[in-house]
Amino acid sequence: MHGRVKVKSTAQQEEEKRKEREKKLKAFVSARDAVLRKRSAGEHDEEALQLTQQLLSSNPDFATLWNYRREVLLQLETSREKDEVQKLYESELHFIEACLKVNPKSYGCWHHRSWVNTRLPQPDWTRELGLCDRCLSLDERNFHCWDYRRVVVKESGVSVEQELQFTDRLIGSNFSNYSSWHYRSTLLPQLHPQPAPDSASNTSPSPTASPQIHSHRVCEEQLLKEYELAHNAFFTDPNDQSAWFYYRWLLGRAEREEMISCVYVSRERERVSVAFSKPVHAQSEGLMLVLDGQPQQVEWRSTHPRLRHSPVWLCDLPPGSVSDISNEHNLTVHWTEKYTHRDCALYTGCAESWCRDSATDQELFRSELSVEKSSVLQAELQSCNQLLELEPQNKWCLLTIILLMRALDPLGHEKETLAHFQTLKEVDPMRSSYYSDLCSKFLIENTILKMEYAEVRVFSLSNKVLEADDNAIESLEGLYHLPKLEEVSLRNNQICKLSDLESLASCTKLTRLDLRGNPVHKTANIDSELSQLLPLVTALSL
Amino acid sequence: MGTQVKDVVIKPEAPNTLLLDKHADYIAAYGSKKDDYEYTLSEYLRMSGIYWGLTVMDLMGQLSRMNREEIIEFIKSCQHDCGGISASTGHDPHLLYTLSAVQILSLYDSINVIDVDKVVDYVKGLQQEDGSFAGDKWGEIDTRFSFCAVATLALLGKLDVINMDKAVGFVLSCMNFDGGFGCRPGSESHAGQIYCCTGFLSITGQLHQVNADLLGWWLCERQLPSGGLNGRPEKLPDVCYSWWVLASLKIIGRIHWIDKAKLRSFILACQDEETGGFADRPGDMVDPFHTLFGVAGLSLLGDEQIKPVNPVFCMPEDVLQRIGLQPDLLN
Repeated sequence: MHGRVKVKSTAQQEEEKRKEREKKLKAFVSARDAVLRKRSAGEHDEEALQLTQQLLSSNPDFATLWNYRREVLLQLETSREKDEVQKLYESELHFIEACLKVNPKSYGCWHHRSWVNTRLPQPDWTRELGLCDRCLSLDERNFHCWDYRRVVVKESGVSVEQELQFTDRLIGSNFSNYSSWHYRSTLLPQLHPQPAPDSASNTSPSPTASPQIHSHRVCEEQLLKEYELAHNAFFTDPNDQSAWFYYRWLLGRAEREEMISCVYVSRERERVSVAFSKPVHAQSEGLMLVLDGQPQQVEWRSTHPRLRHSPVWLCDLPPGSVSDISNEHNLTVHWTEKYTHRDCALYTGCAESWCRDSATDQELFRSELSVEKSSVLQAELQSCNQLLELEPQNKWCLLTIILLMRALDPLGHEKETLAHFQTLKEVDPMRSSYYSDLCSKFLIENTILKMEYAEVRVFSLSNKVLEADDNAIESLEGLYHLPKLEEVSLRNNQICKLSDLESLASCTKLTRLDLRGNPVHKTANIDSELSQLLPLVTALSL
Repeated sequence: MGTQVKDVVIKPEAPNTLLLDKHADYIAAYGSKKDDYEYTLSEYLRMSGIYWGLTVMDLMGQLSRMNREEIIEFIKSCQHDCGGISASTGHDPHLLYTLSAVQILSLYDSINVIDVDKVVDYVKGLQQEDGSFAGDKWGEIDTRFSFCAVATLALLGKLDVINMDKAVGFVLSCMNFDGGFGCRPGSESHAGQIYCCTGFLSITGQLHQVNADLLGWWLCERQLPSGGLNGRPEKLPDVCYSWWVLASLKIIGRIHWIDKAKLRSFILACQDEETGGFADRPGDMVDPFHTLFGVAGLSLLGDEQIKPVNPVFCMPEDVLQRIGLQPDLLN
């Protein structure tokens, strides 16, 4: 079904081809019918093996035949001695290898081989590893073979070090080596695990832990060696994209601790808002609210209209419990599933209270670098800049420089970062939207960091107005349930349809809305449509 | 060393308009010549072949041209005592073909012609201790089968019969350094597997576990200079990846990260003006598999001549609306 070129041929050639195919088809159909007839008759004999062998050699995806073959083999096992069974399955391995030569990517073949090894009284894992070596030397990207290799390695106890060396050899000799780099990413955490953090989290690293989630369970010493390995690869060939992908993984941030980021209490609304470091489903997390030492019966609700998991949850306090402004109250939110909690004190005379760590303390946007790592990354940045001079159009290099700068000093490198993003969009226009989004993300992170350093509260809505004029905003997804929001200004944006404004309907104090300079004004009957969607808005500018 | 980018070059005379009628004619006629070579040799996947053909015809508004009664009878003859459904008569049951059968019956709103409870038992029985799913009783494990299991159960409204936490845990254990997913824990990321896993996580309400920015980047890097998409780094483009990659991007809310115009040109160039249908790449032989994914890809790109397609199930949206299934997508 893949890679079959349509070849133009003469009428005579067409006729010859047709005749040949008709012949082949007849042979196939008669063999197939014979096999299925035998199977229906419950015959599990040598002839079954012969017939299926014929068909499977050129039709290895005909899965039912492998099933039949297995039934026959299991049947034959029952009447044979151990050494005969050994021979039976060894010859089966021989047959499978012949099939693999014809089609090295058949799921059925590889699975059958795995199955045979579970039946062999004495599997020969050395031979199996040799088969993998040969197969990978022909096609280093054959994932069937890699998956089979992982089974062989596990069963035969080949060491992780040995496999790492294997990847070293492949990476050194080949340019299509994504599979090897990938394999490395799975081996490293097994070989050089990072000592478990002393957080209250009770998840422990395991050998099969996903490397994406546990990327930083690799000790730093080894991690720094990996930078060098990847660096050498893309300096040898700056278009070796595999090494650049791997490098980005190395630069990735450490997994954030699971915690309650922020607790907010409002006397007036008698409400508690809780923000988590990742989306959760409150009802499954053992959330407990304690007010002045007394556990409270509360109902948690998500702020997201649709998704079950949300990073922010709300609950209402019992009426009158915090409304008297002359009283001080102490609140604690317990996240019992993660053995963590956060306290929040509501002082006398204060209408509300926040409790959170700063974005920098939480390492929200970058992880703290050790001195060693910092100097290594600094050197890497210099080298990449040198490479950029030689290859100014190399997008991998440009993107990597941006990532290195972010890791080292996001605010200090802001201007350069913006310039590089501009270049990226020029040299790799197909991915302009990606670069625009990534750039926006970094700008927002930088804005927050600047506010933190200036000790300004983030996005305060205490004056109840949201101004977002002159942007490219297309939808207000995320702007829901803001009970204090009274005025929104969205002049000169990209609001096109009424549905882009739907979330505002949940902001019950919103009365003023400025939508001048948005395409939405062209919508038919926009005035009446808007008054239906947002009946409380009395001052509307279009 | 110096690597050349593996890609195709689209010839200037390649098709650049959508030849919907030709494709409908191609599919309607496919399989009518039961002595056709390719057709017979692909009997081992017949149920999926029928699903591909019917779905693309429905997307083109031409479902009525297919033989509904014959197909329904065929499906009935393929359900085995264990509840599982095979690709064709005389073949063994498997999760792949069980899903295809349930998808076909959903298209035809005839789910009750088979024993639904037995299908549910069959699927449930294939879940392993570690949460994974085997494809059949012979035990091959693959995240494709996790997707087949939950998609089948979701279409039947019976997701609650499996151990969801373990099923999710297994799929997440297949997440790689690049944000993608492979067949089994430790397997390399591949667009087909990524489609299955993001589809799985959508159906099970766990999309927040995906690193959408990282995975979205890996996926948008599948686009080659020709505009076509490959399935993983350093491979040739293939029209079926217009589905696996594009649907994945849609599910994680990052479809705008690829160049839509260039992809559309590539997909259109894969058409065969003479025979109708789509091939894997321009100039190759066509087949129903690539025809479905070419058309479905164009639908995701917004072509208004084609019905909207659901990115999780690869079925017309109106069918899923009728069933009441609207799996989550990220924004």
